[in-house]
Parts: sequence; C-alpha cells; structure tokens
Amino acid sequence: MHLVLVGLSHHTAPVEVRERIGISRSMVPAALDRLANDGCDDVVLLSTCNRTEVYAVAADTGAMGERIVGCLADYRGVSRDDIDAALYVRTDADAARHLFRVAAGLDSLVVGEPEILGQVKDAYKVASEERGTGSVINRLFHGAFAIGKRVRTDTGLAEGAVSLSYAARTLSRKIFGDLSSHHMVVFGAGEMARLCALHFHEHVASLTISTRRQDRGEALASEVNGRVTSWEDRLSALAAADILVSATGSPDLVLTGADMQRVLAARRGRPMFVVDLAVPRDIAPEVAAIEEVFLYNIDDLQGIVQENVARRQDAVAKAERLVNDEVAAWYAWLRSRAAIPTVVALRSRFERVRQAELDRLAPKIAGLGPDARARVDEITRLMVEKLLLTPTEQLKAIDDHETMDACSSALRRLFALDDDAAAAEADRADVAVESPAPR
Amino acid sequence: MSLALLYLAAFGAYVWHFATRKLLAGRVATGVLMLAVLVHTFVLGMYTMELGLPPMTGRTGAVSMFVWMLAVSYLSIEVSTDERGIGIFVTPLLLALQGLVAHGEMPTDVPSYFAAPFFAVHVGALLFAYASFALACVVGITYVLLFRELKRRTPGVFFQRLPSLQVLDRMNMRAVSIGWLLLTVGLVGGALWLRDVSAQMANDPRLPHMTITDPKILMAVLTWVVYGLLLATRRWAGLTARRAAWLSAVGFAIVLLNFLPVAYFFARSHNFA
Repeated sequence: MHLVLVGLSHHTAPVEVRERIGISRSMVPAALDRLANDGCDDVVLLSTCNRTEVYAVAADTGAMGERIVGCLADYRGVSRDDIDAALYVRTDADAARHLFRVAAGLDSLVVGEPEILGQVKDAYKVASEERGTGSVINRLFHGAFAIGKRVRTDTGLAEGAVSLSYAARTLSRKIFGDLSSHHMVVFGAGEMARLCALHFHEHVASLTISTRRQDRGEALASEVNGRVTSWEDRLSALAAADILVSATGSPDLVLTGADMQRVLAARRGRPMFVVDLAVPRDIAPEVAAIEEVFLYNIDDLQGIVQENVARRQDAVAKAERLVNDEVAAWYAWLRSRAAIPTVVALRSRFERVRQAELDRLAPKIAGLGPDARARVDEITRLMVEKLLLTPTEQLKAIDDHETMDACSSALRRLFALDDDAAAAEADRADVAVESPAPR
Repeated sequence: MSLALLYLAAFGAYVWHFATRKLLAGRVATGVLMLAVLVHTFVLGMYTMELGLPPMTGRTGAVSMFVWMLAVSYLSIEVSTDERGIGIFVTPLLLALQGLVAHGEMPTDVPSYFAAPFFAVHVGALLFAYASFALACVVGITYVLLFRELKRRTPGVFFQRLPSLQVLDRMNMRAVSIGWLLLTVGLVGGALWLRDVSAQMANDPRLPHMTITDPKILMAVLTWVVYGLLLATRRWAGLTARRAAWLSAVGFAIVLLNFLPVAYFFARSHNFA
C-alpha cells in the first residue's frame, strides 16, 4: 500500500482559490463520506485557512490522486481547470515529509506558528471518529504529532515564534502605537479567533467578542476578560472599536462595504485596523478601499513576518533534520509492511512443514515423556524461528519497491506460498522423500 | 560653512542609523545634531551680542535662524519621543537651507525701528512658526509614506524604521498647532510693530505697501487660513490624519513660496535685505 497526498496551500494557491476549495470543520464529515463513496475510505482531510489536503492510503497512487481531485472539485462545485495548477500530489516518503513539515509548522505561512499542530490533530480525530483510519494513516499521524511536539520543544522554533495573531498585533502597533487605549472586537470564537484574542487581550483597553454561538463566545470572553455582544449587535460594537479580527467559519461575508461605511460614519475619520483571518473571507474586499480602514487578510500578513522567518533559519535547519529522521523511520516502517504478507505466508508454510514432521514422527516419539515431547516441539519451533529471522529482516530492510516485489515473488514461487494445493503437494512430497518406504 | 558641514555629518549619521537601526548609530546621530545645534547657537549668540538683537533680518540671518529653530524643534521632539526615524528626512532640509546661505553675509547693523519691542516678537514668532511647519511637513510626508505601505499591505523600509502612524500624526498635529499659534502671534506682533513704528517710517517707501494686498503679507495670511482650516476640520469635521498630513505639506509649500520667491520678487513691504 502507498500513501497519497493531494492538496493545495498558500504556497500554490491565492486566497481566492483556497476559499473556493476550502472545507469548513462542520462540512468535513460530509466530505469524508463523499470521498468514501468515491472509493477513498482510509483518508484524513486537513482543511485550514492556508491549505486543503487529503491524505489517503491506496494501492494505485495515480488513480487515487485523480479520484480525490475529482471528488473535491465536485463536492465544492469547482472546475478542475481552476484548481489543477495549484494542486500538488505527493506519495509515500514525500507525502509523509510534507505532513511532518506541516505539523512542525515548517510549511506554515508564519513558520513555527503553533495553531497548525492542533488543526492536524483535529483533522485526524474527525477522520478516525467518523470513518475510522487504518494502520498506515494512524502511524503517519501519530508520527506527525510527535514530530510537531518535538520540533517545538527541541529546536526553539516555538520560542519567539510568530503567529498570525502576532503578526496582526505588530501591524496594529504600527498603526496605533500603544494599544492600551484602543478597543478590539473579535468576530467568531473558533481556534483562530481565540488565539488572536489571547494574543491581544492584555494589550488592548477592552475586548468584545461577537459570535453566533453565544455559549462559545462566553467561554472565550471569560478566558480573555472580555465581554460578549450578540451577533446582531456586532456593528454597534465595531463603531466603538479600533481593531477588528474576524475569524468566523461563515461561508458568506459577515461585513460588507456598506456595513463598514455605516460604522465609520460615527467614527469621525479615526482609523480602523481590520484583520480577516477567515477562509472564505469574512470581510468584503472593497472595504480595503476605504481610506480609514487598513484591511489585511491572511495572505497579506506574510510580508510582516519575513524578517522573523529569516531570524529563525537555524531553528528551521534543526527542525528539518528532525523531520527527515522521522520520515526515514516512518518510511522504513511502511516498507517493512510491504513484506508482511510474504513473511506471514512463509512462516505459515514453515509451520505447516514443522507440524507435518512432528505428526509424521509422532509414533516414534510416542515413548517419550510429556517433558521430552514438549522439548522436541520447542526445539523445532526455535529452529524455524532462527531460520526465518534473517530472511525476514533482510526482506523488511529492502528500501525500494522493485527489489521488494522481486524478492517477494521469488520467495512465493520457491516456497509455493500463493498456491495452497501446490504447497500441500510439496508437503506430501517432502514427507515421501524423507520417509523410508515401509518394509 | 562649518555649520553646513556639521549638518552634513548629522545627516550622514542619521542615514547610518536608518540603514542599520543600531542604537549606537542613533546615539551618534543625535549627538552630532546636538553638537551642530550648540555650535549654531553659539554663532547666533555672537551675532546677537554684536547686533543687540538676534540676526533675523536679511536673507542669510533669517534662513540661519530658521534652520536653528527647526533643528531645536526636531531635537526636542526626538528627545521627548525617543524616535529617530524621521531624522533622515529633517537633516537634509537643515543641510540644504544652511548650505544655501553658507556664503551669505550676516547683517552687520539694523535700522532703529527694528529695535521696537514687537519686531522681535513678529520675526521670532514667524520664524519659529515656519520651522514648526517645516517639521510638520516632513512628519506629514513620512506619515504618508508609512500610510501608503500599510494601506498597500506591503510593509517595507518605512514600516521597519518609522514610528507608528498615531505617533507621526500626533507629532504632525503638535507641530502644526504650535506653528499656527506662533504664526498668529507673529502676525499680530507685526501689526502692533507697524502701529508703533509707522511714525518713524513715514518716509519709508515700504510703508504704503504694508497692507493685506502685499503678496508677502497676503501669503502669510493665506498660510494662517490654511493651517487654521487644517486644525479646525481635524478637530470638528473629522478630517482624516492622512489628509491632515497632506495639508501640512501643502501649507509648508505656501510657506516656502512666501519665504523665498515671493519675498524676493513680488513683495514690496518686506525687502529689508
């Protein structure tokens, strides 16, 4: 079996494309069902603001890749022509390396940002709970969680690591200077909204959360010493604020240009900093044309963080080494899995021969006591184990598929592993050759 | 000439600071500019002792006083805010203006009516007002540059080097407010001085032209109106900071127009050089 990754990210697709193919968390179970109906039943769907990726296990990587792309395009009602140029397909070690880099924050818009590891965990959890995941996916994602954690603790990439929230705060400081007299409103109470609120709440004069989910809003407000306002009153709250961070999961705009004009009418020319972290976008793009408004979406934040990225090259190099080690370990495990059917069949064949020999010799050892018979059984079993140990290890260690296939084929042919009748005939022939004719 | 060289050195130090953002470079820049201002103060002090009043008459004296006031204004803002990002924009102006009059003749004597009490108020306040407007202009331009980077979502060199928009806006408005107040004082001082000395100047050919119709006086009043409108609309009509920044630059263009070409080619009331 092979691992296949199909996806697009901020490296390959602008926000306009990402928001069309992106799948909100509430839509993921339905998308997994759709993929399963199309024959992709061992998959994880990772969809964040910056990427939509599907990890799947398949025997035929090319066909599976095509199936996933077709399914995603159909599901989101997007033309293949619109997304083909932005898509990447990776397999096996390359796919694993990609996921490990993603989990480590190395592939993030802001290198080292912590949100992505939680998002990877969440994607795996949803997939395993909704449809179940196989051993390849399980091992892959647990490896990703481990490397994500290790990179953050061992390389210092997380220390001083900037996030989208940090970049937003840097920008707001460049507009307002000291934030302690400025008010902030957050639309949404999801993970991105929460991280942003946590990043700002100690620095701003007040923080108001407006969300459709009152319960989640109240939970976040208590965490950041903020207050909650109803979704319907969000524009009133905005009129008194200087900073807006919007990170809802809404498929539609939550703030139009006309809304913003109404809000600004009462502000007497005071500037407003608006950060749209949502994909699809929450804020109408035309809001950027209003003089007093500084509108940034998540793509725009990249420029802010480049200096920090440069400062972290040492940590990045260390993290890449850790990722490579983890990829090598995972890929060795995956390769070894290709040998498993052959090894199991070989062991089964040897065991049958051993049992046949013991059965044939049963009358001759009938006079032995139970301890001696048990010792004979143990000795023959250990001999089989020792004989099989080296070929098993050698087989698992083969690092390319062609050699693996050739060796497996040779073993299956030499020991007739695929043909039970032939194997039984061989067993009988073995016995006949080895047994002297009764006198 | 030595003063222009000192301002050149300060400019070089501010360029160094702007490029490297090193604390040492910033301190050197401030130190060199302070040295230039000290030397300049000493030079102007010597002339003041010699003339009996500051050397504000004549082109060289007025421009040199203007440069000194601009440098003092900028240094006071830099020290109070600990922001050196706009030094690279102010020092070239100091250098250019001081270089312009480096070989000029300082006044050696002054007419008696210049000794009247409101003369120093009139000229001193106006020069200080123009220095404030120059500073507001530079700060306004830096505001617009930073605003443009932020608005275009392409933070670059100004994003890295300049203080926040709010700090720049506050500097701009403070400079404009102080400048407008001093301009008011200067204009009123001029009117009072004219009332006091009109008898002494009865035969002076410039006296009949000292009215609102004189281009120089008209431009000064226009400057007062422009900056007054800026302050009023900012306070009461919600003028945005960016427009205020532009307007402060436009206002200073009128000041420069009045300070140099109008004063030399059109004004008949203020040709004292």
